[in-house]
Parts: sequence; structure tokens; C-alpha cells
Amino acid sequence: MSISNTTQTTEEAELARLIVETLNLEVTAESIDPETPIYGEGLGLDSIDMLEIALVVSQRYGVKLRADDENNVQIFQSLRSLNRFIQDHRGA
Amino acid sequence: MKSEAQTQEWTTQRERGALPVIKACVWVALRLGRRTARLFLYPVCLYFLLSSPAASAASRGYLARVLGRPAGQRDVFRHFLTFASCVLDRVFLLNEQRGWFDITVHNEALVQEIEAQGRGCMLFGAHFGSFEVARAVGRQREHLPISLLMYEENAQKIRAALAAINPNLATEVIGLGRLDSLIAVAERLQRGHFIGVLADRNVDGRDLVRYPFLGGEASFPKGPFRVAMLLQRPVVMMAGLYRGGRTYDVRFELLAEAPAARPADPEAWIDDVMRRYVTRLEAYCREAPFNWFNFYDFWA
Repeated sequence: MSISNTTQTTEEAELARLIVETLNLEVTAESIDPETPIYGEGLGLDSIDMLEIALVVSQRYGVKLRADDENNVQIFQSLRSLNRFIQDHRGA
Repeated sequence: MKSEAQTQEWTTQRERGALPVIKACVWVALRLGRRTARLFLYPVCLYFLLSSPAASAASRGYLARVLGRPAGQRDVFRHFLTFASCVLDRVFLLNEQRGWFDITVHNEALVQEIEAQGRGCMLFGAHFGSFEVARAVGRQREHLPISLLMYEENAQKIRAALAAINPNLATEVIGLGRLDSLIAVAERLQRGHFIGVLADRNVDGRDLVRYPFLGGEASFPKGPFRVAMLLQRPVVMMAGLYRGGRTYDVRFELLAEAPAARPADPEAWIDDVMRRYVTRLEAYCREAPFNWFNFYDFWA
């Protein structure tokens, strides 16, 4: 994996801070690899954590994550994919 | 952890025989009716009494705590018989045959009030008495949508079992195994659903808190309470006490109002509600001791 892949963009860094703060994670926001899985293995978060993320994302960005979205596994795959989804749907 | 391993052992134990037993019970019960089907419970319980030393020991340990005296074979048999009766009665309740029963509902006003608000609630039960009897009350009298939230592995088994009993009911179960399981819960609450959770038992050993319980200390899962806090819903305690014969008492109690905003100290809110839950559960155990259906060492 090249360096650019594991470096957070500004938006990703903001989202990482939001997640770490919301969930009181013991890792620092900067240390989260944007390609690492968020759910299960990787960051080790469970479905309650996913709910918290969905709530805070809706509050901060006005983007709704829905349970009937078939793409949820992709959306929640990593910090990067979640951020991409948020940026695509912001103010939409 | 020890308790986790034992819980898993219990889950595996039950998995082995559950489906054929359920199917046989359904077949016999629906053809012969409740009175005749109940006769089969005696040899079945006797069989379990002789063949399941682990469950018997757990029963004896629990009964000694709650009764305040050593428990004998006769007590354990009664304990198993109460469990088997509730399991059998599910078959009739799930097939809308409420006529077999004498059901008294306490504090139904609470349920009606929450229903009128249209935002749903978290409905916390336990492996205690019959959760099904409350769902039956909901279905028939109120057309109240109650979904059950449970660990994925159990969800799959229960869905299969429900499908065997009455195919229309399988969709009411939400498994926790998907990353968006709780987002689904949030959406159902928005539609006014009641979300039933058996909040006494942990399976994955995560996020446990120990509380004093029947003279010892036992672990309870924080997860269900955290969900109530996050989604700002009222927490209602539900218990369907089996009183023997054809009698059930269904109790609804408000454990916590919906927080108007995210509590300033979420952990304190959760701790407070959990404490109330455990206290009420203990009171139910003392009131109807043989309704306790955790047949493993709950205090491990």
C-alpha cells in the first residue's frame, strides 16, 4: 500500500476526529488508517457503534444512513468509503 | 471468560435438540389441544431431570438463592415443568389460540399511552416467564407491532422455530449480526414499534456490568440500555409471569422516561436504568421463583 493511500484527507481527518470523540475510542484520530475496516475486525466496532456513527453523521452532516440501503457494507467498509458517501450526499 | 464459555456451552446444548423437539411439540399440541399435550410435559421433564445434570445443578443453585433454603429434586422438577409449560404455551399463543388462557394484564394504560405517542419504546424482558404472552396481548388487542431484537445466532434459530410454529411471525425478529441492525431498530421505533429485548443474558461477553443480584453478583449487558439512551426512548419492563394452570400475569412497568435530550452523563443514566432493571428482575424472581429460565450458572 502506498503512502498516499494511508494518509487521511482533511475531510477524512475531520470525520475520524468525530468518530473517535463520539465513541470515546482509545486510538487517536490521526492513527486511523482510512482503508481499515470500521466494523468488526479492524477498529473492532459493533452494531451499536454503527448506530452512534449514523446518528452523529446525520446530526453533523445532515446525511441519513438507512438500514434498507443495500450498500451499507460498502459504505461502512472504511473511513474513506464512509467519508465518500457523506461528501456525495451532503446538502443533497 | 468463564461465564462466556458456560453460556456458549448452554447455547450449544440447546441447539442440538431444539428444532425437532419444537416441531414435535407443535404437532402434538395443535392436534391434541393444550390439556392433553400438557401430559407429555411430565415424562419430558423427568427425562431432562435425569439426563441434564448441569441444568439441574444450575436450577438447584438458583432456587437455593431465591427460596432461601436448599432445593431438592422436587423443586428442580417443578422448575423444569414451569419452563416446559411456557415453551408449550408459546405454540398456542403464536397460533392465536388465546382461549386456552386466563391472562391478566397489569398497567396496560402505560402501553396505550406510549402507543398514542407513536414513537415506540424499548421493551425489556428477561429469560423469565413468557415474553410471548405479552406479544400475544399486543397482537390481538392492540395490533401493537413488537419486534424482537436478539443476537444473530439466536435470531436465526428463533426465526426457524417461529417459522415452524406460525410462518407469519418470522419477520418480527431483528438479528444483531448486521452492521445496520440498530439503524433498522431506529427506523422501526420511528414507525412506533416496540422493540423487545431479553436484557438479562449476555452471549458475546462484551460490555458487561456486574450488579448485586439475589445475594450474589451477576453480569448484565449494557448494550440494550445504551441503545435506549442513544435513541432517547422510554424503557418499559415487561414480564409475563406463569402462575400455573392456565393463568398468566402480564406486567408492564416504566423503568425510565425517554430522555428529552442526550443525557449529560450517559454512563450515569445507563447505570441508573440498569440498576432499576436488575432490582425489578430480582423482585419478579422472588414473586414467581420458578419462572426463571436461565439454566446455567448466572453468577459465574
